[in-house]
Amino acid sequence: MADTSLDQLPDKRVAARYIKGVTLGEGTYGIVFKALDTKTNQTVAIKKIRLGKHKEGVNVTALREIKLLKELKDPNVIELIDAYPHKGNLHLVFEFMESDLEAVIRDRNIVLSPADIKSYMQMTLKGLAYCHRKWVLHRDMKPNNLLIGSDGQLKLADFGLARIFGSPDRKFTHQVFARWYRAPELLFGTKHYGAGVDVWAAGCIFAELLLRRPFLQGSSDIDQLGKIFAAFGTPKPSQWPDMIYLPDYVEYQFVLAPPLRSLFPMASDDALDLISRMFTYDPKNRITVQQALEHRYFSSVPAPTNPVLLPRPAAKGEAVNNIPRPPDLISQEGPVVLSPPRKARRVMLFPGSEGNAYEDGTLLKHSAVTSGNTGGSTTQSKYMPMSVDVDALFGSKPPPRPTISSTDRSHLKRKLDMELEFQDSPK
Amino acid sequence: MAANFWTSSHSKQLLDQEEVDTVQPADKDKGITLDDLRVVKLHMTNHIARLAQQVKVRQRVIATAVAYFRRVYTRRSMTEYDPCLVAPTCLYLASKAEESTVPAKLLVFWLKKLYADDRYKFEIRDILEMEMKLLEALDYYLVIYHPYRALTPLLQDAGMTDLTVPALSLVNDTYKMDLILIYPPYMISLACIYIASVLKDKDTNSWFEELRVDMNVIKNISMEILDFYDNYKLPTEERVNAAMNKLAVKT
Repeated sequence: MADTSLDQLPDKRVAARYIKGVTLGEGTYGIVFKALDTKTNQTVAIKKIRLGKHKEGVNVTALREIKLLKELKDPNVIELIDAYPHKGNLHLVFEFMESDLEAVIRDRNIVLSPADIKSYMQMTLKGLAYCHRKWVLHRDMKPNNLLIGSDGQLKLADFGLARIFGSPDRKFTHQVFARWYRAPELLFGTKHYGAGVDVWAAGCIFAELLLRRPFLQGSSDIDQLGKIFAAFGTPKPSQWPDMIYLPDYVEYQFVLAPPLRSLFPMASDDALDLISRMFTYDPKNRITVQQALEHRYFSSVPAPTNPVLLPRPAAKGEAVNNIPRPPDLISQEGPVVLSPPRKARRVMLFPGSEGNAYEDGTLLKHSAVTSGNTGGSTTQSKYMPMSVDVDALFGSKPPPRPTISSTDRSHLKRKLDMELEFQDSPK
Repeated sequence: MAANFWTSSHSKQLLDQEEVDTVQPADKDKGITLDDLRVVKLHMTNHIARLAQQVKVRQRVIATAVAYFRRVYTRRSMTEYDPCLVAPTCLYLASKAEESTVPAKLLVFWLKKLYADDRYKFEIRDILEMEMKLLEALDYYLVIYHPYRALTPLLQDAGMTDLTVPALSLVNDTYKMDLILIYPPYMISLACIYIASVLKDKDTNSWFEELRVDMNVIKNISMEILDFYDNYKLPTEERVNAAMNKLAVKT
């Protein structure tokens, strides 16, 4: 009995360091509230992590975030100030951030000058470059995970999907990122990927800053690839030789890329050049974050705006969300999937049958063989909550911004954790 | 893991031998000696490995769990943190941190199956409660670097890949000591390569000379490992129980 009272003492003390304020929102695995750190007199945001019905202890997603953020200290990465248990729940203390990039992009009262966009992009890439130098993949880059402090500094946050990379041959799940920010290699189901996936997502954020709306709003994984190919053209094997060997590769009708200028009429030549390098199909040839920072876009005029002077959105919680989004600029449909969507390669189409561009059918045969070898992937498709094409089935409502919901997350968590190590463990 | 060791929290938390060999005041009061502390740590290292074998995790997870375990007792007393509960909880936490989660109930199941002594048996709730305390004791630093990572490239560079098996076994055995808390992991890999090469009568002097490392440190680590083998004997049950019983005494 004496032990338990001793244990609770440090809890109270640490909890007493913070004075609890208003609730800011519901995070992916718990409530986030504002608080005052009496030790530093600083406003902080505290994430209270729900313990999943006391069955599996500290949430793995939260643990991953703690593990990585304790190693990452950079002006453009969110700072984990403290962590403490209180009343059986784990609490993570972060620096308080006023806003996020999504609020900036969607606030129609804000005009973003080319110098402002450059500043936001530079901060995004700096934070990302730091992570990649530390061999950490973020894997969930999107505007609402880029937080903005009261000094205008942009910081990468939400490392719940991040992980350390660099070990050769480690397989990772491809079910990462909100769909609109997912790189084509992920959409084709690759399990071996690298820093390029974060670069692609950063490219999407760049485009979103220029367009003031999400750039490639796919309603399903197949549709997402269609949107990508409509913007940049269907990749030719010469552009991306490894593409046809990817696990979920399906063949798309060939479409030619429209001139990049037509997609981003307001962007400078340097900006367009950087965009085209960030959206390079072959991940091996895609620009790295460090190279992107050294790109002439960042050294040419106009110089990036000083973060302190960047335009601010209305404070969080105000009715920014009700502002209707500008209509889509590209309303045309993406290219048609030639083989039937999902696992199409399993279906042996008669060579030369309708819609099949390959006359000799060699490619199809080849894919049929590979599908036999990787038979394990069949079971995977039923595990993919995000690839269910609901919109396509029930009419075409404007797609809601896809996020990784908590059910997806818990599923993802299981996948991330058990994919490799659990296959032969006792049931 | 490929991240940069020198900028890591692990590198900043390296300790001196004396710091590692400090018996916590609360334990001292119960008559725990440095030898008792070593015996318990060695016994629990084997305990973790045995449990890990049943739940089938990678060697990396075992190594991380042992490193957590040894690090905890440089800061916390065994009186306050029961080693029998800390050991399986370290394995549980390490399995999560190394992205290969083992369900707590599986650990609880094997604890009950492997041991007759009630001292080793716990419920899920005990492990989850200790997990939280463990996180605090570790100050939430969870990334641990291991000698395994550097071993293969170093052996390849030296052209001695035939030493992989003995060197790996040596690395595994280093976790029976506190080396992981004291030296940078790549130094431990080099010491293991050094010993393996001597064992197999390979001349590696020229290769080591070309490396820009302090050979004195490598030799010190090697001596420690060899000393350990010289004095190594599996602690007897009585010896372990004697130490554990000191802890169990109510004051």
